[in-house]
Amino acid sequence: MDYILSILVFFPAIAGLLGFVIDKDSARVYGITVAAIEFFLSLWLWFSFDGSNAGMQFVELIAVIPDFGVNYYLGVDGISLFIILMTTMMTLIGIMSLSVKENVKNMIVTLLFLEMTMVGVFVSLDAIIFYLFWELSLVPMLYIVGAWGGPLRVYAAIKFFLYTFAGSLIMLVGMLFMAYTYHSLTGVWSFALTDWYALVLPVSYQMWLFAAFFIGFAIKVPMFPFHTWLPYAHGQAPTIGSVILAAVLLKMGTYGFVRFSLPLFPDASVFWITPIAVLSIIMVIYTAMVAYAQKDMKQVIAYSSVSHMGIVMLGIFAMNAEGIGGSVFQMLSHGIVSGALFMLVGVIYDRRHTKMMDEFGGIASIMPKYAVVFGIMLMASVGLPLTIGFVGEFLVLIGFYQVSPIMTILAGTSIIIGSVYMLSLFKKSFFGPVTKEENKNLKDLDAKETWSLVPLVAIVIWLGIYPKPILDPIDNSVKAMLNFMDEKAITQEAKDMIHVANSTKEAK
Amino acid sequence: MLEPINVTWDSLNLITLAPMLIAIAGGLIILTIDLLKEGLHKSLYVMLTVLVLFIDLGSVVGLNINERGFFDVMLIDGISIVSQFLIIVGSIVFIPLALSSKRFHEYSYPEFFALFLFMVAGFQFMVASDNLILIFVGIETASLALYTLIALHNRSNSYEAAVKYFTMGALAAGFFAMGSAMIYALTGSIEIYKVAEVLATRVNETGLMIAIFGGFVLIMVALAFKLSLYPFHTWAPDVYEGASAALVGYMSVVPKVAALVVSMRIFGMYIDLGIEWVRWTILVIAVLTMTLANVMALVQEDVKRMLAYSSISHAGFIMAALALDTTEGNTSIFLYYALFMFTNLGAFSMLWISRHKMRRFNNRYDHPYEKFAGFIKIMPIGAVIMGLFMLSLAGVPPFSVFWGKIYVMQAAVNAGYIWLAVVMGLNSAIAAYYYLKLIVYMFLKDPVKDVDTIYYNISRPLMVIIGFATVATIGAIFYVQPLIERIYYLISASGY
Repeated sequence: MDYILSILVFFPAIAGLLGFVIDKDSARVYGITVAAIEFFLSLWLWFSFDGSNAGMQFVELIAVIPDFGVNYYLGVDGISLFIILMTTMMTLIGIMSLSVKENVKNMIVTLLFLEMTMVGVFVSLDAIIFYLFWELSLVPMLYIVGAWGGPLRVYAAIKFFLYTFAGSLIMLVGMLFMAYTYHSLTGVWSFALTDWYALVLPVSYQMWLFAAFFIGFAIKVPMFPFHTWLPYAHGQAPTIGSVILAAVLLKMGTYGFVRFSLPLFPDASVFWITPIAVLSIIMVIYTAMVAYAQKDMKQVIAYSSVSHMGIVMLGIFAMNAEGIGGSVFQMLSHGIVSGALFMLVGVIYDRRHTKMMDEFGGIASIMPKYAVVFGIMLMASVGLPLTIGFVGEFLVLIGFYQVSPIMTILAGTSIIIGSVYMLSLFKKSFFGPVTKEENKNLKDLDAKETWSLVPLVAIVIWLGIYPKPILDPIDNSVKAMLNFMDEKAITQEAKDMIHVANSTKEAK
Repeated sequence: MLEPINVTWDSLNLITLAPMLIAIAGGLIILTIDLLKEGLHKSLYVMLTVLVLFIDLGSVVGLNINERGFFDVMLIDGISIVSQFLIIVGSIVFIPLALSSKRFHEYSYPEFFALFLFMVAGFQFMVASDNLILIFVGIETASLALYTLIALHNRSNSYEAAVKYFTMGALAAGFFAMGSAMIYALTGSIEIYKVAEVLATRVNETGLMIAIFGGFVLIMVALAFKLSLYPFHTWAPDVYEGASAALVGYMSVVPKVAALVVSMRIFGMYIDLGIEWVRWTILVIAVLTMTLANVMALVQEDVKRMLAYSSISHAGFIMAALALDTTEGNTSIFLYYALFMFTNLGAFSMLWISRHKMRRFNNRYDHPYEKFAGFIKIMPIGAVIMGLFMLSLAGVPPFSVFWGKIYVMQAAVNAGYIWLAVVMGLNSAIAAYYYLKLIVYMFLKDPVKDVDTIYYNISRPLMVIIGFATVATIGAIFYVQPLIERIYYLISASGY
């Protein structure tokens, strides 16, 4: 299967096109089937993936606009493989648990298109193709938020679109400048990432290019202070929108840092460690505090999402195998856990049409299964050992400890504040006496909901106890990348930083 | 005793004149047919026009590069071929919009089609010469025909539009004539390549710069009128509002290509001479045009006016590429219009098919945003197609305009104007808002009235055109490469 990546990218899109003619009532079954096939395709990708090989695999390369250096260039390594798996899995589970009543068919088709763009982002090795999927992913998301969202949905959708669109245009200028630099050094036009990797850029160039890419990625992550679009988007989006947004779309930003910023601009990355770490810590602590102040359950999770992305950012800029590997793992765990939490809020919203914490209380006695699942996900979100959330967070903190112990301690407070807001949410809504009359007859999880949540619970615990099968391939690719950054770095500062990080790892 | 002038057929090289002659002959044939038999259906005239244009296109394809003819006033270089190509293709795709199901006044006159062909000939004269007089003749031939075409539209504001356009056009013509006179006074020639030779020897004389400045400003003003550049753009939205959607789509592409070629020849000469302030003037005007037109487009209530401002903004965008004066910059101009043409064709055709005889939604506007509210619920496919055109105009990949945009931005980066690429990026971000506004109306709002159709004016030929525009917009990624190759070759062969 040489073309498995193309199949992975275009299968959902073609299925989406065909989905237009499917009967309204069978749209859901169709969607689940397609998403399941896609998920199995990605599992197949994993099985045929060679975990010991740190380079790009299943590479496809076709020249599209050779005069301009644009190629259809796909490939996966250990870093992108699991993000793709998570994408297809969360799409499948999202469609399975879909609670939208109106225009189900449109929703399914939109989700399938969205799946194409998301997988496309993570397999692209050509900057323009990457940009293409990156921008295209905005369109279905705009429609999902704008058509099925809450009362302020149009505002939220436009804000989401314009923020990310504006940021990525600056990134586009950066990409063009990168291609120009490549052209002026080699005489050939190329947007291929592997070609760009081979360039050793002067530090002054790296600084500007890093800044251009940073804007595009930081808005998507969303880094503080570019995060303001996110609470709106989450607040107004339907459940499925929040799930996909938190699980996958935010990962595009952090993935961009790992795939583009670090290997392309090692010196600039090292130079910016402190400012970015400061921003990340603000992101971790400040948004955690904001999360505590929220009255809306969904907003709590939205802000906690930003807070956890801060941890991911911190890990990426630790510049060592533990930090980056931990970050990639944390991306997966955050995707699964926050996705599940949004689904759980969706469950209760479907029953009561409110997500205010005041409206609930003592639900644990009425919906025990629901409370158990919620509790597990919440523990994973807080980073309790033996859950998936612990592994990534722990690795990131270990990794960053080598850079700055003080900052690591500050970031570590996120675990404490995180437990505070999460447990207070849990306490207010789930324990104590049942305060509202309407809540007394709430139904517990039905079969559809159980079937979509139980696999997530299983994964959360499985990978919490035994993360090795996933950590190893990630680690391989991350180490390869770090070695390569080590060779490429120009400034002494960057050399020391990356080299030390690499050698201590080997000594262990 | 004066020497008698000897003219041989060979020295005239009449083949260089053939494309224009074909268009003019076609116009005359249409008039003759009308004389012989009245009351023929418009479809006959549309098809005749298309046929003539196809022959015209064939004759352009057959031209050899870098030839001169007809007392050396005609110039067939790569630019003239590629721009004539765009002009004719643009005309071929826009004229069948006349085949709508509703009867509109202007298309019942055969004169419309004859005038249309004369106008095409005028544009061809503009781009196929470097002689200022012939360029002037071309501008006037095309503009006079265009004024009449606008006025034939049977709406009161179309007269207003025509008169406005005419007055502004006449003013611009005056400026152009005076500017040419100034250049002639300075150099004793009206042929751009000779002007360049003379100026090159004298460019360091101090007093001369003031005279060059005068000539430049006059011609700049004239072309800025034609290209609707800030601050000479104010006529454009009103004229676009008054003219029919089909004609507006045409006006936002073809006349601009012609005027850009003239600008490229004249201003390119100045920049080649090393007169840097010419470049900076153009850059400043271009940046102001794209930014202010974008801001104005944000507040429009009518989709057609919004598209009018947006096409002004696109013109500013492309004018900036002209200031770069590199082969890539000049290539990007034609590439951009080649790609923009199809999307614009689609967008204006969608407006054209949603045209109704009475204004149902708004007293003033034909196409207010409210009209498209809930379009997805009324006609899903139409809404998706219109949405694609808007995304393409906003520069979302992989739709056609995106490739034009990145090529322009890349040309700017290559020439060392990274700030310009950033300004272009920011402008695209502003522009995204108003294109998005229409998408939001179409997809996210509910219909305002009990409307069962928006296709009031649809007919089978129009469906074909829209289908064609859609395919061209979506499939751009597959034909960008040959397009770049060909255009780049033609531009570099003519030394720009």
